Amino acid sequence: MRDQLDPSRRVTGPVTTGLIVAALTAGTGLHPTPSAAPATNAATQPPSVTASTTEPLLRPGRSPRNANYSIDVHLDTEQRMLTGREVLTWRNISPVTTTELRFHLYYNAWRNTESTWMREQSLGRSLAIYDRSESDWGWIDVTRVRLLSTDDHPPLDLTADATYIAPDDGNTDDRTVMAVPLPAAVAPGETIKLEMEWTSHVPRTFARTGTIGNYYFIAQWFPKVGVLEADGWNCHQFHAATEFFADYGIYDVRITVPSGWILGATGREQDTQDNGDGTVTHHYYEEDVHDFTWTTSPNFLDLRQEFEHPTLPNVDIRLLLQPEHAGQADRHFEATRATLKYYGEWFGAYPYNHLTIVDPAWQSGSGGMEYPTLFTAGSSWLAPQDVSRPEGVTVHEAGHQFWYGVVGNNEFEHAWLDEGVNTFSTARTLDEFFSPSYASTRFFGGFVPWVFRDIHWSRATDGNRLSGYRSNARMDPQATPTFRYWPGSASSITYNKTALWLHTLERHLGWPVLQRALARFYERWQFDHPEPQDFFDAINETSGTDLTWFFDQVHGDSVVFDYGLAQLTSRPTEGRGFFDGDGRLAFIDKTTEGLIETTVVVRRYGDGVFPVDVVVEFDDGQIVREQWDGSAQWTVFRYERSARVTRASVDPNRVLLLDVNYTNNSRTMTPRATAAATKWSLKWMVWLQDLLLTYGFFV
Amino acid sequence: MDGVATGPVANVWVFRVIRALLDGLRRVLTAPALLAGIYFIILLATIPMGFVLHESIASHLGASVVGDALADGVADGWWDEFAAQSSGLERTFAPSVIGFAAVLSNLSAIADGTPPQGAIAALVVVYMLAWVFLVGGVIDRLARQRRVTSAGFFSACGIYFFRFSRLAVLAGLAYWALFGVVHGWLFTDFYSTVIRDITTERDAFLLRAVFYAIFGSLLLIVNLIVDYAKIRAVVEDRRSMIGALLASVRFIRRRPVATVSLYLLNGTVFVLVLAGYALLAPGVGTAGPEMWAGFLAGQVYVIARLVTKLLFYASQISYFQSELAHANYVAAPQPRWPESPAAETIGGVTS
Repeated sequence: MRDQLDPSRRVTGPVTTGLIVAALTAGTGLHPTPSAAPATNAATQPPSVTASTTEPLLRPGRSPRNANYSIDVHLDTEQRMLTGREVLTWRNISPVTTTELRFHLYYNAWRNTESTWMREQSLGRSLAIYDRSESDWGWIDVTRVRLLSTDDHPPLDLTADATYIAPDDGNTDDRTVMAVPLPAAVAPGETIKLEMEWTSHVPRTFARTGTIGNYYFIAQWFPKVGVLEADGWNCHQFHAATEFFADYGIYDVRITVPSGWILGATGREQDTQDNGDGTVTHHYYEEDVHDFTWTTSPNFLDLRQEFEHPTLPNVDIRLLLQPEHAGQADRHFEATRATLKYYGEWFGAYPYNHLTIVDPAWQSGSGGMEYPTLFTAGSSWLAPQDVSRPEGVTVHEAGHQFWYGVVGNNEFEHAWLDEGVNTFSTARTLDEFFSPSYASTRFFGGFVPWVFRDIHWSRATDGNRLSGYRSNARMDPQATPTFRYWPGSASSITYNKTALWLHTLERHLGWPVLQRALARFYERWQFDHPEPQDFFDAINETSGTDLTWFFDQVHGDSVVFDYGLAQLTSRPTEGRGFFDGDGRLAFIDKTTEGLIETTVVVRRYGDGVFPVDVVVEFDDGQIVREQWDGSAQWTVFRYERSARVTRASVDPNRVLLLDVNYTNNSRTMTPRATAAATKWSLKWMVWLQDLLLTYGFFV
Repeated sequence: MDGVATGPVANVWVFRVIRALLDGLRRVLTAPALLAGIYFIILLATIPMGFVLHESIASHLGASVVGDALADGVADGWWDEFAAQSSGLERTFAPSVIGFAAVLSNLSAIADGTPPQGAIAALVVVYMLAWVFLVGGVIDRLARQRRVTSAGFFSACGIYFFRFSRLAVLAGLAYWALFGVVHGWLFTDFYSTVIRDITTERDAFLLRAVFYAIFGSLLLIVNLIVDYAKIRAVVEDRRSMIGALLASVRFIRRRPVATVSLYLLNGTVFVLVLAGYALLAPGVGTAGPEMWAGFLAGQVYVIARLVTKLLFYASQISYFQSELAHANYVAAPQPRWPESPAAETIGGVTS
């Protein structure tokens, strides 16, 4: 959808674009509501304060580049303070006129316990974060807002007009969204330029941004404009269970940190300047991204390698590694290269030529998070080679460069579109390159790893996180806006359920079909903001099949899938009576024919419906495969043949990975449950004996 | 006083400690019935719950083909499915029951102050009460160094049960203070404060190891005092458990290096047993002979642990007996049947 307005923004009239101009109208009143109105009603709005041009509304780059930032920020490590100034050049690419701009002030989520983020965080969880000391909290104060002009008009100070709003829950104590009324409306295609100054206190890490010791990971740190859509501003408050959403643009950022500190950020470093006062200013620049994040610490090991591929563009990979993980550098690089390779081959090329991996400091709480051209991984000091850590988190966050970075869905409302699709992709990638991989656990405060080399990591169940989904299968339908999910189960619905239903689709449609569908979705929606239906359309179109029935269940509902084999019997045929034979009614005694009647009853225990295969095996080696649409509560298959049944299975290939109870999917005439139970209960007994012996220490 | 000086004097306590360990080992190995008895107790204690788990697993599997996979190895995803549909003691059936992970998980739980729950906790309490009952007989047998009849053994158990119940209350208070107060303070408050701004996991782990050592030392001290209190209670036929504790403290205070060294030597044996099991612990295996071989290996380990437990007692008894005025010194209780170790010694009854 390049070279035109976002279709979700529905432009119907003549389209013009604005240059960076703000024609200021003195004495114009503010109009806080309605914040946005359809273009057709523009005549009722105040006169536009922006100038428009006749330049066609083409994308100036790969993305619309309608939210461009020039930022200068200074980090005071003594006070943990950021002092910043930004100039936002914002173009209205929506079909509606707006009389205000809305900004995310994420750092205010940690201003006090009354923010929406904090209230939600406490739902069903520990309140330990409430006990933080004064210096551990975070906040951001916007100290100046000015509308700039490119002509001779002086800037117009809007600071006093800015207000905090709470569009999601009306929480008057929440200050994570700021509305800045404009002196005049901004029509579609027009551009304005706003200067903002702010100070903020860097917290001890909340939501993966903050500091510990001399490690700083600074994300969601600047006043960030929301997304204007056809129905108004999409600028949610910060919620505990969701992430972010923003328009694409150019970020030109200068960051001043202490001399000698290593800095990594979104984009590429352009130059550095020694300020002569013990600080250095790093200049970073990136185009076509929707966020900007940076990190700094004097302790990083700064390592670089290259990704090379015969058909994909090269990528410079930079790794900022904790010294205690020096021996794991290759594992980080290898996982990132695998991601660029497999995601690139399956979905489409990574469009930037650089990527930074940040290995977070221990206890920083910033691990496992994605940002444009930069992500945080996560490892342990003791990291066994055959356990997929740090590989798992590295692949996942590197994969977000595709699902989130390039395809920029609204994470507030449809987080599954990137998190779930990426969880599926992560598991698939790990399955390709990381082997063998085993289950593991950690003892003694979580420091000492133990690898279960008898238990292989499974993509289907471990990679897709079936256990997490199983316990939350009945929770919110996935179509619920993500920020409305119950925080305790949000990740299961977002990550696990999506991965499971996508893997189910892979097995149902075949990987080539699903791969092409995902590639189509990636190609179609890169540098744009897709909605769920766009994803479904890509799959329906590619597969040539209307899978709405499936999406309605897994996305639109919270049905549970559970098929089972309820009965399996094989016994001599006992039929006796009048039957049709040779065209006439005849008395037949089937008991003398020596046939065996096999009965297979398959049940649908859950409310989810999915077509399943039923396979019946006989002792003469014959295998019968049936297909059942799975819609009825139960069905029965009967066979009369000379052989006895040996086993039967519903969904034997485990296509339906959403089935929460797979053990009941099969029956055998020679069950080994007793043998298995004996084996495992004996092992458990030894564990129990050891437990008693251990407690025997005290007597 | 311990021989903390250098030279031949120092060797005295070293030799005595080593001699006590070897003598203790001899006493344990010459008490096979005792070993068998306490082994069967732990076996019997665990069989009913093993049976309960067996039925739960078998019931969950039913006639499912998954049973084949579980009999031959591990079934993909089954463990989580079973856990999701289970409650109570079935919840303890986790991958950590496999091989040496079982040992680590239990030690880790103790070290991190994570108590067992539900039915398992009840079993632990019953098992500990059983040991409170048995320990008098066990020490009596190891102190006598000769066979006793089961009537004699259980008579000794009965004699000391109420005394050791009182001692258990006192010891329990000490352990409660350690786990309920000191552990929380050490690991939740102090450790958390110390590592608050540490950004390297290795440093934090080393600190935690130091904290484990500190807490372990406190446990050792309490355990050592309670051990000698029990020994003195039996060997000297003490009625007052407070008196026994004070006597124990006096005994240890006069020989701190030797008593601690002997304890640590026993601890080394314990570590060697664990190391041996770490090498030999069976993996998942298959149902059938391999399963029984694995269980047998587990029982050998359990017996080795029990030998180690008895060795702690036996070597400390030996050391205690060797350290007093004469080798088999005991106080002089009123003779009665069955004869106490003290009366036996006075009466010249030897094995």
